[in-house]
Amino acid sequence: MFDAIVIGSGMSGGIAAKELCERGLKTLVIERGRKIEHGADYTDWMQPWETPNANMIPEEELASDYAVQRQCYAVSAATQQYWVKDSEHPYTTPADKPFAWIRGYHLGGRSLMWGRQSYRLAPIDFEANAKDGHGVDWPIRYDDLAPWYDHVERFIGVSGSKEGLDQLPDGEFLPPFGLNDAEIQFKQAVEAKFPGRKVIPGRVANLSHAQPHHEELGRTSCQNRSLCERGCTYGAYHSSLSSSLPAAERTGNLTIVTDAIVHSIVHDPKTGKATGVRVIDTHTKKHRTYEAKVIFGCASTIGTAQILLNSKSQAFPTGLANSSDMVGRNLMDHVYAVTVVGVLPGGPNSYYHGRRPTGLYIPRFRNVTENGDFLRGFGYQGAVLRPGWRSTLLGKPGIGAELKKRGRGLAPWVVAMAGFGEMLPNPDNRVTLSDKTDQWGMPIVHIDCAMGENEHKIAEQIVADGKAMIQAAGGFVLSGESKPGVPGLGIHEMGTARMGKDPKTSVLNKFNQAHDVPNLFITDGSAMTSSGCQNPSLTYMALSARAADHAAKLLKEGAI
Amino acid sequence: MLDLPSLDRRALLGRAALLLGVTAAGGLSAPALAEAAARAKPFLAAPAFALLSAVADTIIPVTDTPGAVEARVPALLDGLFANWASAERKVELAAALTRIDARAQSEHGKPFAALAPEVRTTLLAAHDAEALKPAPKDKGVGSAGLSLGLGTGATDPGYAKLKDLVIILYYSSEIALTQELSYEHAPGEWKPSIPITPDTRPQGAGPY
Repeated sequence: MFDAIVIGSGMSGGIAAKELCERGLKTLVIERGRKIEHGADYTDWMQPWETPNANMIPEEELASDYAVQRQCYAVSAATQQYWVKDSEHPYTTPADKPFAWIRGYHLGGRSLMWGRQSYRLAPIDFEANAKDGHGVDWPIRYDDLAPWYDHVERFIGVSGSKEGLDQLPDGEFLPPFGLNDAEIQFKQAVEAKFPGRKVIPGRVANLSHAQPHHEELGRTSCQNRSLCERGCTYGAYHSSLSSSLPAAERTGNLTIVTDAIVHSIVHDPKTGKATGVRVIDTHTKKHRTYEAKVIFGCASTIGTAQILLNSKSQAFPTGLANSSDMVGRNLMDHVYAVTVVGVLPGGPNSYYHGRRPTGLYIPRFRNVTENGDFLRGFGYQGAVLRPGWRSTLLGKPGIGAELKKRGRGLAPWVVAMAGFGEMLPNPDNRVTLSDKTDQWGMPIVHIDCAMGENEHKIAEQIVADGKAMIQAAGGFVLSGESKPGVPGLGIHEMGTARMGKDPKTSVLNKFNQAHDVPNLFITDGSAMTSSGCQNPSLTYMALSARAADHAAKLLKEGAI
Repeated sequence: MLDLPSLDRRALLGRAALLLGVTAAGGLSAPALAEAAARAKPFLAAPAFALLSAVADTIIPVTDTPGAVEARVPALLDGLFANWASAERKVELAAALTRIDARAQSEHGKPFAALAPEVRTTLLAAHDAEALKPAPKDKGVGSAGLSLGLGTGATDPGYAKLKDLVIILYYSSEIALTQELSYEHAPGEWKPSIPITPDTRPQGAGPY
């Protein structure tokens, strides 16, 4: 019998485990994937010439085993070990509604491969649903979460600049990875032409300058290698393996079980509480059960929905904590893969050294300082760089000495901006269980999700505004694609067990506690009531820490 | 044109072998021949490897820095044939090589690898210019500043892919990254502004 079970060891589960352990709770973390050792199992040591097959996964293997995962930018031979084989972990979608579920099943989950961009939601984000009537109102406001953002930022280490923007609150930052000269020039041009728009250094969970509390965990400052998604032996970015699980472990209260797929959460109708978690051993396929006083669901948005929907009982015939019928619904991602690229011919005569782990960010301005003919808004991630040989040589005519000369010359400055747009909650975008089962006997998920009219309008505006900013900086536009990528590719799934005030229309209360099951907390992306346009992991971590604190108090009081 | 999707894997491999088998050996440089002999498990037969070596050497020759052959690009590309390329890709790459050889035969009556270096350069430069013209139906694709694709949209996609692989292997090599470009595995500090000097070289790795 444990005090707490945390299902999943990724971004949310790592923080939940740390916070629970630090409050004296004997905590079991259950991970469906295999164990990975921090450092020893990483591939960040590989020089470019040491990667197998020029860092390309063999084509037939890529096609047969990674049909979905291959769409993710971070998939390469050096990171191959971190992605699920789609052939072994199937799911279904309607034929005309593809959804890209990008995943990694191993200790640490996607915290190993995440993009590390870390932005707070703002007061307007927590108010948005109430204001325009889409979804239900968040049961919390920015001020409820602000201290927990502080807490998490301090622990994980977020580099960034203080900007004083209402729509993108400042945090507890390490020094930013500064803008280069071309980005400063771009910033000045954009901010002069469009008052209210800001070009700022990307806020990123990489240690620009490690602090003593980071070094205590064996973490050191970022070496500007930009090899993050291979795993970082320096521990320079926050992941469960470099940061949260070691912090949990040093309390002496942590137990980790890997290779255990959660089948369902066990519910006792007499007490109304969850009593434990039933797992399937990945290798033997045998079932066993772990018991605990409190359970945290951190299996990721789609994984958590799958577990809840599969936890059927007489009391919950449609799945645990699903009296509202909202489990699995309101699946959101961000409007993604809408990118504008241009050349800045009048860029500065300078260069930069190192490969910083971030770029520039343009916080939301539509429906903040400028109107839009759509609801909500978007931000941009991007950079102004002198592209390397891949851009200057591949696909281009020319051979011999001329080719080498071109490769050796510094390219002109190129600005690339990728919009991230808010997706409205829509109950018809949902995860259900199919009749088919996987090799472990788990019903596989069916994902039915599509971008709506508002998302397409946002995509159009991302391109129009991006082009205008490139032109304002004296550049010319090379490309601008306004068709959003397949949902899921943003890898920001959320919403399938939303927080809300009313148990009839939401799954979780203001402390991420299931309305229906008082000792069940869900703190991964499924808790999100709306999506904002900010990269969401920081918010999942803040919600996890806050919920863990609350759960520990309730346990101490004997209330759950 | 080959109707690739309609061919099964066995047929494709047979076709690749056929395409590569017709290539005659030619007068390559001593290092390239030594490299051919040193390959552990060669995928390409010696004549095909000689052709590949001549093509790679012509795309990226020795200048004031070493070229593709010194960076072991032919052997590494042989490895890609064996360990990376799909059956369709093998045929496509082999056919692209064979077209270069056929052009050499037709214009000079000799295999490509047997031509003098300056003749090879003239021939391949013309071939390259024609092959990499955007295909009419895909105008613009692959010509944008951020093209990362393997030759999509070119008139001769097989040649475009072959050439891209030569470039990728060369510019991922230790020779290119330390002598042609600059590369530090762990740069340490991020310096957002440094002056450009005559010695400044592009960083050999980065997001694009």
